[in-house]
Amino acid sequence: MRIQVTRSGGFLGAPRASVLETEGRPDAPHIHALAREALGACTRTPTFGVPDGFHYTISVDGRSPVHCAEPQLTDSQSDLIALVLAQGD
Amino acid sequence: MTVPVFCGIVPPHILEHLVAHAEDDAVREAAERSLALDALNRVHRAEAPSTPEGIVRERVLDTAERTVCDDHHTQRLPGRVVRTEGAAPVPDQTVDRAYDGLGATFDFYLAAYARHSIDGRGLPLDATVHYGQRYDNAFWNGERMIFGDGDGTLFNDFTVSVDVIGHELTHGVTQYSAGLDYQDQSGALNESVSDVFGSLVKQYSLKQTADQADWLIGAGLLAPGVHGVALRSMKAPGTAYDDPNLGQDPQPATMAGYVDTSDDNGGVHLNSGIPNHAFYLAATAIGGFAWEKTGQIWYDVLTGGTLPASADFATFAAATVAAAGARYGAAEVAAVRDAWVQVGVVAPA
Repeated sequence: MRIQVTRSGGFLGAPRASVLETEGRPDAPHIHALAREALGACTRTPTFGVPDGFHYTISVDGRSPVHCAEPQLTDSQSDLIALVLAQGD
Repeated sequence: MTVPVFCGIVPPHILEHLVAHAEDDAVREAAERSLALDALNRVHRAEAPSTPEGIVRERVLDTAERTVCDDHHTQRLPGRVVRTEGAAPVPDQTVDRAYDGLGATFDFYLAAYARHSIDGRGLPLDATVHYGQRYDNAFWNGERMIFGDGDGTLFNDFTVSVDVIGHELTHGVTQYSAGLDYQDQSGALNESVSDVFGSLVKQYSLKQTADQADWLIGAGLLAPGVHGVALRSMKAPGTAYDDPNLGQDPQPATMAGYVDTSDDNGGVHLNSGIPNHAFYLAATAIGGFAWEKTGQIWYDVLTGGTLPASADFATFAAATVAAAGARYGAAEVAAVRDAWVQVGVVAPA
């Protein structure tokens, strides 16, 4: 599974993107389950968000991106975003 | 994988039907989430009063009512209360900086514009610090200010700059006054007035004139080793930082550099450089303390009750020229108009 996370907004407004490939990772089943749960809580269109909050766009295996925004992130969304931004390329 | 998600254009009554009747748990939960988000967003828009503020104004105190909470890096708001109004300083300097910044912003709005707190009616000021882990941001969630500690590599603790605190609380002022839509040009104006009054909070606390001020947003926020002086510069947008890891400050100073993008709600943090620079130009042309005349003009427009929530740069510029004429004289009108001409929003006469 190839998970792309793009972050935009924030106080600075500077975008940041990262891609995580799960193939070959021992924790791949865990990440796949996390991604399914996280994407289930996303919307197909960007949400209004809050001033200076981060907006996230998540795309899995090249499929249509889905969206979520602070501060209404679920635990699974927060965990997936943190994982991809920290460990992705 | 099939994931049930609903577009923002699905009407609330259909979502409500799905919540009540959908047999598939996933569909029902997705509908519930969409409804919750939709309701939140409508609340944010609805909180801007439809009539000028303070028509019925009860007597409010001239002192802030502050509460600072500690999230303990959990991202579970509001966190535990660690300092309330009037309480002594605590060992955690982040808590005290947030407390002092809330106070400085409250004092500024009261002294400069006789405004009691962000809603004009003495709203308690709440903040949460130590939000998340190595969290590189500060934001206003419609109810409270939220500060991250920064990652220590690119950003320091977001409470270090009083103008950042003033910036966030001014999002609250805008929410309770003009209610500028947080997208495209109205969103860039929303961002800009937060930078304007955030900077004025700092200038007021330091008693600096327009010529003495640094006109920087977030000075001290960049971690040691990062090439830059701040996050934004109102004096010279696009010059605040230029760093291998952070990139180059992307803000335009004039309409010639206007950025068309769908990111960042339509580039609200990018194009805000244009009205930011207009304010700087007007304030330095008028001279003296920037919060007195120029700040008053911008404040009159923000809180006057006639600026549309969807105002673009040209609408806002015209309103500031009119406000300068209503309160001051020909020199101030000319200074404000010239500022907007210089940034390319108003055509030269």
